[in-house]
Amino acid sequence: MAKIIVYIDDKKLEAESGKTILEVCRENDIEILTMCHLEGITDIGACRLCLVEIEGNNKLLSACTTKIAANMVIKTKTERIKKYQRITTELFFAERNHVCSVCVANGKCELQKLGYKVGLDHIRYPFLFPQCEVDTSHEWYVLDHNRCIMCTRCVRVCAEVEGAHNWDVMNRGNQVRIISDFNTPWGESTTCTSCGKCLHACPTGAIWPKDIVQGQLNKNPGMITELIEKRKLGL
Amino acid sequence: MNAAPTVKDIEPVKADPRLKLIAAKIKKENFKPDSLIEVLHIAQNAYGYLPMNVLKYITKALHLPPARVYSTVSFYHFFSLKSKGDHTCLVCTGTACYVKGAQAILNEIEKTFSLRPGQVSTDNKLGVSVARCIGACGLAPVVVLDEEVQARASTTEIVEKINKMVAP
Repeated sequence: MAKIIVYIDDKKLEAESGKTILEVCRENDIEILTMCHLEGITDIGACRLCLVEIEGNNKLLSACTTKIAANMVIKTKTERIKKYQRITTELFFAERNHVCSVCVANGKCELQKLGYKVGLDHIRYPFLFPQCEVDTSHEWYVLDHNRCIMCTRCVRVCAEVEGAHNWDVMNRGNQVRIISDFNTPWGESTTCTSCGKCLHACPTGAIWPKDIVQGQLNKNPGMITELIEKRKLGL
Repeated sequence: MNAAPTVKDIEPVKADPRLKLIAAKIKKENFKPDSLIEVLHIAQNAYGYLPMNVLKYITKALHLPPARVYSTVSFYHFFSLKSKGDHTCLVCTGTACYVKGAQAILNEIEKTFSLRPGQVSTDNKLGVSVARCIGACGLAPVVVLDEEVQARASTTEIVEKINKMVAP
């Protein structure tokens, strides 16, 4: 890969062409907030948290899906970006019923951490309080739509890593839901292999094993990344 | 866990001539998974909606994950999982039609047939739906009965026409 020069946050950096802005930033210890990104699986730019400013472009672009180019001048910490990150985070919380105090992921939740990170003290938008189902039909796992943020990490992990493609997304707008097969209960799925990768990929407490209680969820998304790397190496 | 959909799920449909259309299309598209939308299009037009066993058949034939098929069907408004009725009555509720009394037409339909937008009569004869705007504002209020546009529709006239349409 050809080496190119880019400027990120007024720092002159050497990067490999073909990489995404997010990859280059992570390599150089420049922090970029993400939610739908999981190392190894396809990036789709769904969460809009990794937005960056690129000189000469009025639009904010998602760092995870934008390829780096020579002499790009990128800003990752401007007031405008911080404002949008805050709005996005607030909307995450306002969209579904996120109650940390009763959640299995309390203390280990990526959404919760994000809230702390952007300094979330209140939410300016009206809560939608949608009626969400909790699918407990699976023998070992639970899917709680109340805690889902539609990052679709579970969908991509299931399709790309496990190869089962049990999950997908139905409907649109605020009616979107994660579905198993033909919107059938998870326990009746014909494609699910019960591997539990979706559980580790989930950034919140939306998918969790039945045998745990509040705050006890332990996730290891790094395991998935490792698995992908090992497969690439043919180990 | 249930077993995967077997031939049994598919077989009852096989006697259906409409399925031949779908099967022909799938063959023409060379069983390509990315021909899903085209195949669904044919199925939607043949049945008026997408019955579950037809979806299962398409899923198997195209070697697609069921969730991907369901996600596609639920995303596009063109596809529906429930029957829209043998005959359809689409009332435009765009601004022009609204001003010209689309609501009065809907109220009258509800009074006469006890059907609200999105509902289908119990005998599956008539389905009522609304559209935001069908782009014929000059003809407001517009009602579409079985693909036939009724321009400057009057309440009584529409009810009469629906009665005639639904009559066996």
